[in-house]
Amino acid sequence: MNEDLARMALRTIQKLGASYADVRYVKTESENLHVKKGVPEEIRKSSIAGIGVRAIAKGAWGFAGTTELGRPSVVNIAKLAYKVACASATAKKTDVKLSPTSARKAKHSTRFRKDPFKVSLQEKLDSLKTTERAAAAESRELIKTSSSFFRAHRERKLFLSSEGAEIDQTIVWCGGGVSATAIRNGDVQIRSYPASFRGNFSTAGYEFFESLDLARHAPETAREAIQLLSAEKCPSTTTTLVTAGDQLALQVHESCGHPTELDRALGTEADYAGTSFLTTDKLGTFRYGSPKVNISADATAPGGLGTFGYDDEGVPAKNVPLIKEGIFVNYQSSRETATLLNLPEGSSGGMRADSPLAMPIVRMTNINLLPGDWKVEELIRDTQDGILMLTNKSWSIDDRRLNFQFGTEAAWLIKNGSKERMIKQATYTGITHQFWGSCDAVSNDDWYMHGTPTCGKGVPSQVMYVGHGVSTARFRNVRVGIA
Amino acid sequence: MSLEILSELARKATRLAVKKGADQAEATAFTLVEDLTRFANSQIHQNVATHKDGLRVRVVLKKRIGDVAIGAFDPFSVKGAVDDAIKIAKLSPPNELFKSLPEPRKYAALKGTYDKRTASCDPNFRADNAKRAIQVAHDRANFVKAVAGSYMTGSASFAVVNSLGTDVKAQISLAQMAVTVISDKEGSEGHGYYSAYARNTREINVDNVAEKAAEKSVKSVQPIRLEPGEYEAILAPDAVALSLGYIGNGFLATWFQDGTSFVKYNLGKQVFHEQFDLKDDGRDMATLYVSPVDGEGVPKQALTLVKDGVVDEKSICYDSYTAGKEGKKSTGHAFVPFFEAYGPGPDVVNMVLAPGNASEEEMIKETKRGVYVSRFHYVRTVNQPRMILTGLTRDGTFLIEDGEITAPVRNLRFTDSFLDVYKGMQMTGKDLERQAQATVPALKVSKLRFTGVSEQ
Repeated sequence: MNEDLARMALRTIQKLGASYADVRYVKTESENLHVKKGVPEEIRKSSIAGIGVRAIAKGAWGFAGTTELGRPSVVNIAKLAYKVACASATAKKTDVKLSPTSARKAKHSTRFRKDPFKVSLQEKLDSLKTTERAAAAESRELIKTSSSFFRAHRERKLFLSSEGAEIDQTIVWCGGGVSATAIRNGDVQIRSYPASFRGNFSTAGYEFFESLDLARHAPETAREAIQLLSAEKCPSTTTTLVTAGDQLALQVHESCGHPTELDRALGTEADYAGTSFLTTDKLGTFRYGSPKVNISADATAPGGLGTFGYDDEGVPAKNVPLIKEGIFVNYQSSRETATLLNLPEGSSGGMRADSPLAMPIVRMTNINLLPGDWKVEELIRDTQDGILMLTNKSWSIDDRRLNFQFGTEAAWLIKNGSKERMIKQATYTGITHQFWGSCDAVSNDDWYMHGTPTCGKGVPSQVMYVGHGVSTARFRNVRVGIA
Repeated sequence: MSLEILSELARKATRLAVKKGADQAEATAFTLVEDLTRFANSQIHQNVATHKDGLRVRVVLKKRIGDVAIGAFDPFSVKGAVDDAIKIAKLSPPNELFKSLPEPRKYAALKGTYDKRTASCDPNFRADNAKRAIQVAHDRANFVKAVAGSYMTGSASFAVVNSLGTDVKAQISLAQMAVTVISDKEGSEGHGYYSAYARNTREINVDNVAEKAAEKSVKSVQPIRLEPGEYEAILAPDAVALSLGYIGNGFLATWFQDGTSFVKYNLGKQVFHEQFDLKDDGRDMATLYVSPVDGEGVPKQALTLVKDGVVDEKSICYDSYTAGKEGKKSTGHAFVPFFEAYGPGPDVVNMVLAPGNASEEEMIKETKRGVYVSRFHYVRTVNQPRMILTGLTRDGTFLIEDGEITAPVRNLRFTDSFLDVYKGMQMTGKDLERQAQATVPALKVSKLRFTGVSEQ
């Protein structure tokens, strides 16, 4: 990594007169492997290196980024960022102000034991092939598609700011999964392990992928897909809903993660993702959920996909409570948005960009539902009549994050405290604060970190990797079986 | 980066891969320029200018495939990408389903897809247009509270070369504007949205975009709650286009071969209304992302997806790999690198739904009791073979009674099979509107099932 280029970009824009500037020099590499129906469907490596310059000039933001890393091009990008900021200033109401943060000089790396990029391709592909074949072997007739996945990501970034920050950070994550699709007479049923949409991911090394033990879980995954073909449809009713972590992770993501983003609440995402029902007048007083509900934004959680040392404004990773005993107590924020709301703690440290060519925006880190005081078995035993839903399949929520509907790959009818039989095409719907208000139990013995590498937000669109530590939870009077 | 430079880079990478032992090799060089001025709360808050280069190298060694993408064009990086691709191919097991990279085919270049002025707009040009939109929207009513949106200009260029003789290139300029207007009357918000997609800034009528968004916004304040149920519905082009984006997946060979496509279970059947005619045509200038060739250099051509409401095997979109699996030829639907991210597999981005002869006013007049939907939001597929979609309405939803719009309504959730929804098509708009992935008219359908209501 040529640090001189980054310093040159910073010097250039400072000389032009920017009141604040930061430069991110980022190199990312990724590896995607997919074995499907016995063949290596995808063996793809990609990498990108680039520089992004963000600046405040005449009280407004400008940003420019490039993958051309010659000196003339980097100087031009710095000049362009300044010019863009000056153009922004012609349509500003107030000057941008940033909450204070210490200008740190630091080096940080997420923890891993086995570098996933150093494990041989052969070993990874052998593992995926064994897994996929184990799923396919359950039924040559009914399992029409079986897939296994591996993905690894490494990001090294140098952050320099005009305030004197110099942060060299490396983030490594990887993971994978297995899925099986059973089809009979036009009925298509899919099961996945350990999560849908290519699996689970963690800021960890290859040891995390190994710990998933995909080959051992593949046969059961396929068997469940086959069982679903003969299962009844989810009834259309209002009942008690028990959600496993691999569904609840996305519920937390959509109905708590996004609405607590302060940029949404302040209207700056109104043109695309939308705003938030958690308007600023509700901060500190609004009952978001029952007293059982405690949710935090924790960028320090070990292994979380949203774990890092510093965000893309140089703010150190924080653990910030968002919902405390059901009350909405904090937003996820940036240095600019924290100032607009006079937040005494300043930024929550959630500004992140998905590439050197993207301007950082407020992003989730690890949005975690804190463990409750139930054991999963007790929770099921305590449920007389309800439905347990597992593994997200579809998700949709309105532009203020109130009306949601989720579908899951599988579900079980619960009768008299035990799982009675599997049902399919399970969906549930609700209004966010009513749903969380009906939460009467959260387990503590199956709390687990789920990684979501595909969170979309922003214009131009950015895709970020975030985490959700969750366990099983129970909700009363939920409408199910909509489709 | 000029097209000729991209072509030369792709040729060099391909030659190098063959020299290093590849049986077949393909290189795709591309440049994306995306300059975007974003505004919210009636001021510019994000403003970016980005330039991205990329090179994808794919090599084949006796059905062993290596695929590497990099974000640089310098000789050292290009050589590294070729070496890595060869290395990966050598380590990979053979993919017996792979037949061949595409053979070269003749194609005619498309004229008028690129405007230099649009591709290299000044940030002040975009800022001026943002300010204009903000002013026009606020001028509509004194209770317009905030204006948000974006104005984007840029370009996308790529060249594909393969060792079988394919040597093609394509380039477009892009100009897009979207405006969201938020009104507030006595504490009740109303939202309105409108957008324009073009390849030339001259085609973007800023005043028109802002006026239409503002009109919907001011008419949306103080919405009533409409009970869920089945209603007649008029879908504005934005809503139609988003639903087609999901229906379009059913025509992809990947979905068809996996058995998840609705087409698979309805071959030769009339699943839509008999006047529902849908094609995908990358050469149709009415669509946005026009290109004479796809991402593998195969010529684009019109493909009928739905004729008289009927789907069949000829409706399926293939790239060379998925076509090879069935012993067929690619239909020219390999992913075109006109986007920030792209990957393997076929894609449909040039859908055109045949227009009819009705105006939106006529559709409203013909509606006894129904819902006018300006936009859909957060649509997801609940059941693929039945094409059951769920999502919400957004930015202007209105109740129609006895042929007139009588009230704005709160956003509604729908959950319905869009095979059924479009089988119940009653009227088709006479005007086509260009959206990102599809160019479509407004539609009136006999019923859309709303399953929930959002809170204010």
